[in-house]
Amino acid sequence: MQATKSFEQAFLKQMLLGIQLSAVSHGSGSLQERKSAIKLSADVAMAVARGSKKWTRGLIASLSKEEHNRSFLQFVLGKEFERPAKICHSSWKIPRSKNIVRRSLRFLSKRKSNIRAPNSSVLAGTLVEKRTQVLKRLVPGGQSMDAFSLLDETLDYATCLRAQVDVMQKLMTTLEASKHRADSDAQRPKEKFHLLAMVGSWYSTRKGLRKRLSKRPKLTL
Amino acid sequence: MSNRRSRVSEEEINRLVSKLQSLLPETRQRGAGRASAAKLLKETCNYIRSLNRDVDDLSDRLSAIMATMDSSSAEAEMVRSLLRS
Repeated sequence: MQATKSFEQAFLKQMLLGIQLSAVSHGSGSLQERKSAIKLSADVAMAVARGSKKWTRGLIASLSKEEHNRSFLQFVLGKEFERPAKICHSSWKIPRSKNIVRRSLRFLSKRKSNIRAPNSSVLAGTLVEKRTQVLKRLVPGGQSMDAFSLLDETLDYATCLRAQVDVMQKLMTTLEASKHRADSDAQRPKEKFHLLAMVGSWYSTRKGLRKRLSKRPKLTL
Repeated sequence: MSNRRSRVSEEEINRLVSKLQSLLPETRQRGAGRASAAKLLKETCNYIRSLNRDVDDLSDRLSAIMATMDSSSAEAEMVRSLLRS
């Protein structure tokens, strides 16, 4: 999947909805609470914008393990929220995929190690296995994936993560610019008051008073 | 399902690996064929970890700046950027 503009738009839209939702349910919380709410909105938005992939389901499943996330997930996902819970209990998948992983890893490491020294194939297998385990922990839902799915899902997940970072960065820039404008606007009202004071003092002089009376003869003091 | 998976072709794996290599910031600079499976996995894990750190950091900064703005103007700005894109 190439991070398309439509994905970025869908992500931003979902994140906006999520932030609005959090503000409604939490009001003004601590900085840590607000940060967690934004991160949660961002992660859910990323999963929703991507649609149904193994990693998006894995992500929603791991988020729903936290009690304080549940009401938010319920609001955003509705009926969709109920299904991912089943993925957590599919431990029966693991024994089957272990052999596929071993085969695929040996396949991968042998393919690469043929270019290099032939002795390195055994070592490459162990290191590759170790690092595959690390990757499985990093990619949501990775534990129950075979090696091919893991690679495929990793590619997709990393692309979406990259887009998530890019959009959040753009948002940050936009908000900073808007705040800067607002801050500089805040300087101007002082000038407005100054102007009003001048007008006020003009009215209070006799000349001003006469002028006012002549313009509006009906005005009684 | 497992039968289908075990018949994955070398070509498909090659395609995935090269896509992954072009995604990673470090391997993109080096020529193809120099990255071993172990190196590829290591750099992939590092890349994902770094992106997760970025998201965490941006969440901090976004919550900080939204705290200084009133929520309506922050949300208005987000809607505006949505409409702009």
